[in-house]
Amino acid sequence: MKEIKINPNHLYSFNGGLKLKHHKTDSLGKKLAISTIPDKLFISLRINRGNIAKPTVDIGDYVLKGQVIAKPDTDNGSYIHASSSGTITAICDKETASPNADMATVIEITTDKKNQWIESNPSRDIKTAIKDAGLVGMGGAGFPTHLKYRDNEISTLIINGAECEPYISCDEQLMLDFPHELLDGIILMLNVANAKQAIIALEDQIGGIKTQFEKLISDRKIDNITVIKVPTIYPAGGEKQLIKVLTGQEVPSGGLPLDLGLIVQNVGTAKALSDYYTNGKPLVERIITIAGDAIGQPQNYSALIGTPISHLLKQAECNSDMTDRLIIGGPMMGFAMPSSDIGIDKTSNCILALSKENTEHHGDTLPCIRCGECVNVCPANLLPQQLHWYIKGENLEKAREHHLFDCIECGACAWVCPSQIKLVDYYRYAKSELKYLDFKRVKSDESQIRHEKREERLQRLKDERLAKRKRTRRRTTDPAKVKLDLQATLDRVNKAKDDKEKSNE
Amino acid sequence: MNNKVFNTQSAPHIPHTNTVKKIMLLVWLALVPAILAHIYFFGTGIIIQLTISIMFALSFEAMTLKLLNKPIKLFLNDFSAIVTAMLFALCISPIAPWWISLIGMFFAIVVAKHLFGGLGQNIFNPAMVGFAIVLISFPQAMSIWIPPHDISPYALSFLENLQIIFYNQFPSLVSFDTLTQATPLDSIKTALSQEYSISEITAKPLFGNFGGLGWEWIANFYFIGGIFLIYKRVITWRVPAAVILTTLIISLPFNLYNADHFIGPLQHLFSGGLMLAAFFIATDPTTGCSSHKGQIIFGAGVAIMTVLVREFGNFPDGVAFGILIMNMSAPLIDRLTIPKAFGQSDS
Repeated sequence: MKEIKINPNHLYSFNGGLKLKHHKTDSLGKKLAISTIPDKLFISLRINRGNIAKPTVDIGDYVLKGQVIAKPDTDNGSYIHASSSGTITAICDKETASPNADMATVIEITTDKKNQWIESNPSRDIKTAIKDAGLVGMGGAGFPTHLKYRDNEISTLIINGAECEPYISCDEQLMLDFPHELLDGIILMLNVANAKQAIIALEDQIGGIKTQFEKLISDRKIDNITVIKVPTIYPAGGEKQLIKVLTGQEVPSGGLPLDLGLIVQNVGTAKALSDYYTNGKPLVERIITIAGDAIGQPQNYSALIGTPISHLLKQAECNSDMTDRLIIGGPMMGFAMPSSDIGIDKTSNCILALSKENTEHHGDTLPCIRCGECVNVCPANLLPQQLHWYIKGENLEKAREHHLFDCIECGACAWVCPSQIKLVDYYRYAKSELKYLDFKRVKSDESQIRHEKREERLQRLKDERLAKRKRTRRRTTDPAKVKLDLQATLDRVNKAKDDKEKSNE
Repeated sequence: MNNKVFNTQSAPHIPHTNTVKKIMLLVWLALVPAILAHIYFFGTGIIIQLTISIMFALSFEAMTLKLLNKPIKLFLNDFSAIVTAMLFALCISPIAPWWISLIGMFFAIVVAKHLFGGLGQNIFNPAMVGFAIVLISFPQAMSIWIPPHDISPYALSFLENLQIIFYNQFPSLVSFDTLTQATPLDSIKTALSQEYSISEITAKPLFGNFGGLGWEWIANFYFIGGIFLIYKRVITWRVPAAVILTTLIISLPFNLYNADHFIGPLQHLFSGGLMLAAFFIATDPTTGCSSHKGQIIFGAGVAIMTVLVREFGNFPDGVAFGILIMNMSAPLIDRLTIPKAFGQSDS
């Protein structure tokens, strides 16, 4: 493992990136609002790229807040808890707050508005607590947190408070309102990872949070947590980019931060850990930014997981006639939702309602003129225009050669494209197509091997049978041997006869 | 509210204001200072050339789009044909006959651009294809230039320019020979073959401090326009820097070896079409290289070819050939210079 050195006065930079208008003050002016309890909660059982948890409750069951309602069937999943008390009224397939609003199993809870907690007794083992609390990365990817704490040697824990997408301010709100809980969570994480130090990374456009934290840290006499401001360049909050900025190291292509001895965690995840470990509250609510130009009162809300988007929009006075796109996540990487009747999940950090003026493109889509602006902004050092060229020509293997799978889908290339090409769509298509082709290739290789093995086995059986037959035939064709055999049998029979007679006497 | 269906287009959801049209407009703007200098030194001929080649370019563009059943308005609106026409017009003589533009634009727009697939798909720079075709086919018409106004005995009026371009009618009072003059690079080539030395040739009034009189100023304004484009992020510094530095480096040894026979680096830079090519033609992204390393190789290749053609070839200037040869090599260079992706640096 390489040694990681972090010097706040000497940061690094990644290639490209964008300077975007951040629009964060709209939602940060007011205090954190607490969302009312909706009539119905839609809790998605889909976690982290297709892993679906298995429901442990039935329709008609009464559940308490914090009760486990679904558990994973592999180690790659995480627990899901009821976000409020009420009755399970449906378990069915429904759109979820994920890319393409994918269908997945959703548990519908009709709330009784009592919001009654289940009695809980959190484990004193932090690793178990992380799993029991149902923690996943709350910055957007939803990577199950317990998978990050294996037995790897970890030198540094990076707490990601750099929200680089415009409009989103939920992490900033969390750091303003819950600094103690956040520090508690970080200390717990430091313990379980057995790491030497933790870095809280913030964007430098952020106001007085750094001083607030530094005061708290010195008041509490913590010596292994440092706060560092990183330049506000989109996507500096991306895990790999943030690591590069802080340490100058690049996460190996196809690898994880663990390979460098690092763990990156969103501030929300750290706070959620302390909520469970000290107060016994599993991950059933999160802070979510409601913003956009169609929102009358942009603000950060503390909302229960599963709260329908429409319920939050109503509280934030959304003008639905004006809304053209309803986006979960930020404007650069978020997913446009077809309807507002979808429950938020653990990774939903923002709901954006944008009007047509704000989303409409300037000019029509033209062919790529290879201007190269996408190369200048790509934070993954790719050649986006070449990728587009090869994917358009269905030359997907060439796209793979051009490092397609290192694309982080940040959308910087599509944003600057003068021909208004939806570049990221091409990359997503090519990635899924290549994955499918690889899968098919593995399958066909497997069946090829199976087929060969079977042929081999049949041949062996056949050979054995033939050999056996040959042996017996040789015996039956040699007259001398047959005579001997016959004689031996006769002798045996006679001997048996004699023995019998003798014993009778 | 629950029933409303929203737009589900993919991210990014906030658009950028950059468009192809804007890029092309910035290129026009960057060419304006050089065009003004052109008018100052060589009269109003360039205005006529610009107008007719733009008209031909647009007509050919519209006709081919119609034949190919492509949306005419969409593609005429991107202004790229106009940029091609402007670059072509700036390369030819201000008194070249009108059909030079016609033929040049036919090969540029119809053959080099649309037969290869249209906007963004062409392998060769359209303006340079058009220019090379007329240069090879009509060497005489292409070599007749007029002297810059400081040393010209007679300034052509706008009307006289029109008459020359459209009817091949020269003003009757002055002789053809006093009115016209070879380009500086052309006269160097001719004079060298008559055993004159470079210092003798450049002492003639046709030459200024570095390059041809007037020409060097136009080159200066191309440079300024190019810097503006770099500032506006339309082009990057790599190609122009590679062209300029390689020209200086490649031509210096020749000049040091025999200063009487080989022109100096600055003369190279400020003569002919090199400065225009460095900032406006070699930087054409469609026909150039996409990787940063590739762009530097591309620029260097253009400069090497240009200097070699000028010194050893039959043509006075080799910029167009340099560009076309490098256009051909660009896909290969690109394939050999795929940059390492994030996280692959150490492996």
